[in-house]
Amino acid sequence: MTDLAVARLPLGSRVFGWLRGRRSTWRERTTARDRGEVELNQRRVYVLPTRAGLGFSALLLALLVGSVNYSLGLGFGLTFVAAACGLVDMIAAYRNLAHLHLRPGRAGAVFAGEEAPFELLLANRTRLSRFALWVDIDTATDPRHAVDVPAGGGATVVLSGTSSRRGWMKAPRVRLATRFPLGLFNAWSYWQPDSRALVYPFPEQDAPPLPVSGHPSPDGAGSAGSDDFAGVRSYQPGDPLRQLAWRHIARLDPSLGGQLVTKQFEGGALDELVLDLDALPPRLDLELKLSRLARWVLEAELRALPYALRLGRQAIDAGLGPAHQAACLEALALYGSVDEAR
Amino acid sequence: MKTLRPSLPRFWSPLPRDKQDTLLLLASTVLVLLPHTAHLPLWVTLLCGATLVWRALLTLLGRRMPTNLVLAPMAIAAMAGVLQTYHTVLGRDAGVAMLVLLVAFKMLEMHARRDLFVVVFLCFFLVLTNFFYSQSIGTALLMLVSIVALLTTQLSFQLTGAVPPLRTRLLMGAKILALAAPLAAVGFILFPRVNGPLWGMPDDAHGASTGLSDTMAPGQFSSLAQSDDPAFRVKFDGPPPAQPQLYWRGPVLGAYDGRTWSRLTARPHLGSKAPQPVSISVRGDALRYQVTMEPSNMRWLFALEMPRALPQLSSGAASATPELELQASSPVRERIRYDLASYVDFSFQPGDTLDNAYQWLLLPYGRNPKALAAGQRLRQDYPEPLQRVQAVLRQFATQGYSYTLEPPLLGVDAVDEFLYDTRAGFCEHYAGAFVFLMRAAGIPARVVTGYQGGELNPIDGYFTVRQSDAHAWSEVWLPGRGWVRVDPTAAVAPDRVQRSLARALPAPAPFGFEGLGRLLQPAPDSLLARVRFAIGAANNGWNQWVLNYGPQRQHALMESLQDNLFSWRSAALLALACAVLLLGRKLSRQRREDPVDRLYSALCHRLGQLGLPRAPDEGPTAYAARVAGAALAPGPKAAAAEFLRRYSAWRYAPPAQPQFHGAGLPTILKELLSRVR
Repeated sequence: MTDLAVARLPLGSRVFGWLRGRRSTWRERTTARDRGEVELNQRRVYVLPTRAGLGFSALLLALLVGSVNYSLGLGFGLTFVAAACGLVDMIAAYRNLAHLHLRPGRAGAVFAGEEAPFELLLANRTRLSRFALWVDIDTATDPRHAVDVPAGGGATVVLSGTSSRRGWMKAPRVRLATRFPLGLFNAWSYWQPDSRALVYPFPEQDAPPLPVSGHPSPDGAGSAGSDDFAGVRSYQPGDPLRQLAWRHIARLDPSLGGQLVTKQFEGGALDELVLDLDALPPRLDLELKLSRLARWVLEAELRALPYALRLGRQAIDAGLGPAHQAACLEALALYGSVDEAR
Repeated sequence: MKTLRPSLPRFWSPLPRDKQDTLLLLASTVLVLLPHTAHLPLWVTLLCGATLVWRALLTLLGRRMPTNLVLAPMAIAAMAGVLQTYHTVLGRDAGVAMLVLLVAFKMLEMHARRDLFVVVFLCFFLVLTNFFYSQSIGTALLMLVSIVALLTTQLSFQLTGAVPPLRTRLLMGAKILALAAPLAAVGFILFPRVNGPLWGMPDDAHGASTGLSDTMAPGQFSSLAQSDDPAFRVKFDGPPPAQPQLYWRGPVLGAYDGRTWSRLTARPHLGSKAPQPVSISVRGDALRYQVTMEPSNMRWLFALEMPRALPQLSSGAASATPELELQASSPVRERIRYDLASYVDFSFQPGDTLDNAYQWLLLPYGRNPKALAAGQRLRQDYPEPLQRVQAVLRQFATQGYSYTLEPPLLGVDAVDEFLYDTRAGFCEHYAGAFVFLMRAAGIPARVVTGYQGGELNPIDGYFTVRQSDAHAWSEVWLPGRGWVRVDPTAAVAPDRVQRSLARALPAPAPFGFEGLGRLLQPAPDSLLARVRFAIGAANNGWNQWVLNYGPQRQHALMESLQDNLFSWRSAALLALACAVLLLGRKLSRQRREDPVDRLYSALCHRLGQLGLPRAPDEGPTAYAARVAGAALAPGPKAAAAEFLRRYSAWRYAPPAQPQFHGAGLPTILKELLSRVR
């Protein structure tokens, strides 16, 4: 029935509709997210001549004209052999890329503004060794990674995309290209890996010191003192010079910003460090609050102070260690997004 | 056992990749330039060699390449040198020399990847220019080797990481060529051919060649007789005529100045009578044949006496003179092919009178008095012209005349000296003297030059007519019978006409050894002769089908293809081939996949049919757990669980263990699969 209905439409609109359908499937093909492993089939690999390929066609024309003009029988032979070699190169360039299996690998977590690494796994299940594959994110002008994938083997490429905001970052679209074997044709393909990297909030620069006494303890003795050495914190203007932790400064991790640190002394009972979003001044922007919390998480980890995190309804109990830090940073990264529940 | 490794890899392998690539490019360039050294001036060869060696040393020592300040004066000096040598920079040979120098200098000025392509493309063009000088089978083989070298170089430059050994890369290059070959053959056969040239060619576009000219002086034919070059090849449609009938007519010479016979150029007509039409009557069937003529740089075409019609040439129609000389519209500068039909039995202008007969009776004044007197005597002795002809032939046969390639030199009265003193000569002496005597005896006569005979190659059935078959004979006009061919050489040396020149002459003895001469002139049935015939047939096939595959041949081939292709038999064959190809493709694709993986896919498919499709992200273990919890009959469920357990164990075996499944695994899995219903 529908076929009949279609047949009754005027030809022009039918052709137009068909074209529109084609275009949308093309767009889908080039931009859709590829779930799991992907095989580069002939619908995904594009081939066009390179500049050298255009030069080669000029050479072919010169060979043909020379052969015709001087009636060189063998010259015709050379011309057609060269032309056929060009065509074989086109097919070989396509085959160098086609039927590769692509799989996203691990994606590392980074702070906003850093380069997020995406691991891509290329598997070659054919008997044809692949050479000189250029892989990079689509927006890169000059591809930076070249790999070879031996027959029946695999290769790993780590691409990096610049992260901008916290949360999940989609892997950028990847462009795979090759000019092997003769460089006359460029075969390329796009791949949208189904992979994402976690982007933590950017740790605030010049954040206020850790709220070690964020909440006054019931006995009122939890304030900062000068009796017991409790750790170090970022230098704040006004800290007395004799309290600077010179030894720490000497071996300080540059990831903290290479700042000065001040020795912190506490008197009385050690309070549990609670980093609470709601405890921050309400007039601050949410992103700035998260940014400050991220800085505090790093600092607490550095000073080996067990810390708990409270983000509205979400609460992470006090703890220490890389896993705890990662959990806290992830909670900060995903706060307010749909993935928060994870 | 310890083996000695060749020193090359040791020297080769420690070189960095880019240096290896550069040396490979140098080697390919040398391969392309090498055949050019045969025709280039020595200084160009030496300069190119020095430049390439310089480049190799720069590469090996890791030095920097010369700046343009050094290169530019060198290039200008080289251009001046070409101008000095060839007096032009535009001609064919000068152009080739310039290209060769350009490639050599470009090697010193390579900075970017683009420059590599420039050098490789120039090398491709230089391979073509080599065909100006030689298009033999050997050149074609060298071309293939050069192409493999160039392809290998090109693909070596494309590599980024892993570099396979040179041998593997050469194999890759050869593979590209092998894959290209059928495609190239199709292009070669089907690409529409046009007749060149597209524009006027430089004067040196065609080299000098040996062959018949349109004059005849003593010594000319004997020098041609030394040349083994083929003049043309002939393929008869039916059985070939006998050797004594193979007279290939060429220029007809009627003017004699006492030394040289030449064609009549001015054609004065006495009175205002229109020239008599040329009348020919023929008897019997025409012989059909095809002539493939080598380039001669002359307009003459050769045909068996007497051609029925003018041959059609691709370059335009041929024409004929009243003497029945065939001419092309322009000099034959490339191999041409034409079809002809000829009558062996014919009468040529068989009237009772001959127009302008005086032209064929003129003799130079005051020369050769003895021969002149002899001719007049003949006229008195024999009233019948035919009797005079026979008398002279009898004289040649009986009075101690000999046939030799090295006749004594003759003075001013050449005919007299030859007839009465030296009595030794080659065909031009006999033909010339005979025509002189005939004219003196009052019979219109002329010298006909051309070729006589030919060698049949039993392998491909082609007659090869060589320059050494060049011959001169004569024609006399007899009232009522017309122009009659008389070959005085046949009277002296019947073998020359009956068999071949080599049989007619005494066996040569190179360096004084009789046996050596026999070795060089092998008997027709010896092994050496058969090898020679085979090589000749290969060369002829090469000429016919590769070098001379022009519009005509293409047209003929297409027509025969059309006839053969559009029959049910070929269609059935084509369909069968397609089916076999598709089946083979399918099988090979199946084989490529691991059988265990294939069985796993089959299981997933079958469980999907039972309502339990595998989720895309589900591994076999998770799938097994889901299957175990699903509502499925206990038998299939157990089989599927066992299948998945075994598959999972095999698939995720630690890499240290052998990856190969036991020979039994596919069988077991297949059995389990059959139980899942």
